[in-house]
Amino acid sequence: MNATTSKPSNGIGNLWTVLRKELRDFTRDRRTLALTLLIGPLFYPVLLFGIGKLTALRAQTQLEKPLEIYMAGAEGAPNLVAWLAGQGIRAKADAGDAKTLEARIDAAIRNQSEDVALVIGADYADDWRAGRPARVTVVADSTSRNADLMVARVKATLGAYGQQVGALRLLARGIDPSITRAVGVEDRDLATPEAKRGLLLSVLLPLIMMIFAFLGGAAITLDATAGERERQSLEPLLATPAPRWAIVSGKMLAAGALGVLGLVLTLLSFKFAATVASGSLGALDVSVPAILKLLLVLLPLVLLGTALLTFLAAGAKSLKEAQSHMTLLMFLPMLPAYALMAYPLKAQALWQYAVPFLAQNQLLVKITRGEAATPAQWGVYLVCAFGLALLLWLGAVWRYRQEKLAISA
Amino acid sequence: MIVADHLRKTFPGKGRKDPPVIAVDDVGFEARDGEITGLLGPNGAGKTTTLRMLYTLMRPEAGRVLVDGVDVAADPEAARRALGVLPDARGVYKRLSARENIAYFGELHGLSRAQVEERTRILSAALQMDDFLDRRTEGFSQGQRTKTAIARALVHDPKNVILDEPTNGLDVMTTRGLREFLRQLRAEGRCVIFSSHIMQEVAALCDRIVVIAHGRVVAQGTPQQLRAQAGEDNLEDAFVRLIGSEEGLLA
Repeated sequence: MNATTSKPSNGIGNLWTVLRKELRDFTRDRRTLALTLLIGPLFYPVLLFGIGKLTALRAQTQLEKPLEIYMAGAEGAPNLVAWLAGQGIRAKADAGDAKTLEARIDAAIRNQSEDVALVIGADYADDWRAGRPARVTVVADSTSRNADLMVARVKATLGAYGQQVGALRLLARGIDPSITRAVGVEDRDLATPEAKRGLLLSVLLPLIMMIFAFLGGAAITLDATAGERERQSLEPLLATPAPRWAIVSGKMLAAGALGVLGLVLTLLSFKFAATVASGSLGALDVSVPAILKLLLVLLPLVLLGTALLTFLAAGAKSLKEAQSHMTLLMFLPMLPAYALMAYPLKAQALWQYAVPFLAQNQLLVKITRGEAATPAQWGVYLVCAFGLALLLWLGAVWRYRQEKLAISA
Repeated sequence: MIVADHLRKTFPGKGRKDPPVIAVDDVGFEARDGEITGLLGPNGAGKTTTLRMLYTLMRPEAGRVLVDGVDVAADPEAARRALGVLPDARGVYKRLSARENIAYFGELHGLSRAQVEERTRILSAALQMDDFLDRRTEGFSQGQRTKTAIARALVHDPKNVILDEPTNGLDVMTTRGLREFLRQLRAEGRCVIFSSHIMQEVAALCDRIVVIAHGRVVAQGTPQQLRAQAGEDNLEDAFVRLIGSEEGLLA
């Protein structure tokens, strides 16, 4: 008989073979494929429209709707109550005297059945007549986010009333009210209208994009290593002459390709949503160059994600163990976002562009706000991100060379 | 031709303080071309570990393996090209058809499309798998899966064939067919090694038998030599005497 027909191995050729097989295998699993590729693109418009709609709805109802609140001691300040009513803030019909009502108010605010209430001091009428500050207490729970807008509205209305009456009093004494304003403070906000409107999105969008880029291909990545071993087909594969680096790279590139495809679909739907949406979303920069830049920022994350997951999956004893890393990994992209909420950083220092996730966060915010990152920032970012991905890739190759990889439990 | 020379392999114990487990100790034998060599031993005797060292998945701690005269440690890739391996783990890709499973490994061996088709045709005929060749392997019977895995392992027409318990879980008819296939491989001049814990099977097929127990070779030779060595006329009694117990030998 003839000698074997097996040819000296050709790493790149083997890599393509593995890549094509993994893609073919995975695309035949229709349901997983659909979930992998479509969740991102479908999730985006729903999220964007939904949050925009909810924000608008809240502002509308809480700012324009007549507000009915408890006012204890209202009988002592008929003018104030009438004025508030003129501004759409009415007193709730109440029973009982001021003291019991005050107790009821405290209880109602505590259990959050009421958002805000007023307590008009018992000495209000006397103080008013004597020209002393007449005490009005705004009762609210500052930790209740829901009450923010209403408290601000009540306070602003009260403040306006106080100023108006104060000015009238000065006029009655023949003094120009403007004399009390020693310093005229004015705001000049230089934030571009685009940036202003994208405030919420600046926190949310980068985060979601990062999670999708980082873990979008997770299913196929984990399955291609830990799953293949669990299905007992890894040992025969590793017994072929194909070099290990080619096998692991083919698997990673297949997962990466799907990750990028999902990302492109997500960005397209993002573009669509931002183009169609009105209000704050309309302000986002979704021109083709911006979308390409977003893709460039997110691409290293796809590689990082697949390399890291392959590394972990190759070291895990089972698919279950590999999957248990996912919860932790979901949090990784969120860390910089949370840190920035607590301690906002100027997006200028170069070191920020070397830190994974923080760098992406800063760049994504810049791009969606229509700002330009400097070439140095891009340089640091790309070198560090691709460098880290390369290191993780080497780690994954190293794990694939380990003897124990092939031996399933 | 495969030569195992004083192979030794230990695994770390479960705990840090536990002594290492000796899986294979000083195992040596020679498997010649045109012969079927059987590795016989009870479960856990070290057969699979020995085979894994032969097909370069594990590195022996001591000793060496020669495939067609070449040390596999020096050139593992050349060894893998010269070997067709059916490992203990024989999972097939269930979303690919049997033909695609075979073609995948053919491509990894660097075969052209025409070569893959030709080999698939030959192997499919020899293993009687024409009926299910183009079906996805999901839902295959054990026998169909094993045949697919064997065809996949032999797609590159290797001179040496290593099969780890090939008849495990197969019914009588499939086993008979498989034995016929192994004889055919021998007739083609290949070097065939297979492991089994079923004595009758080894006795029926093998030209040479290597009996392994507790990680060591306890006897080797032709069936006649083994009978003579144990001083028993009956091969079964000879094995029991050689291994020192009846444990695990009876299927």
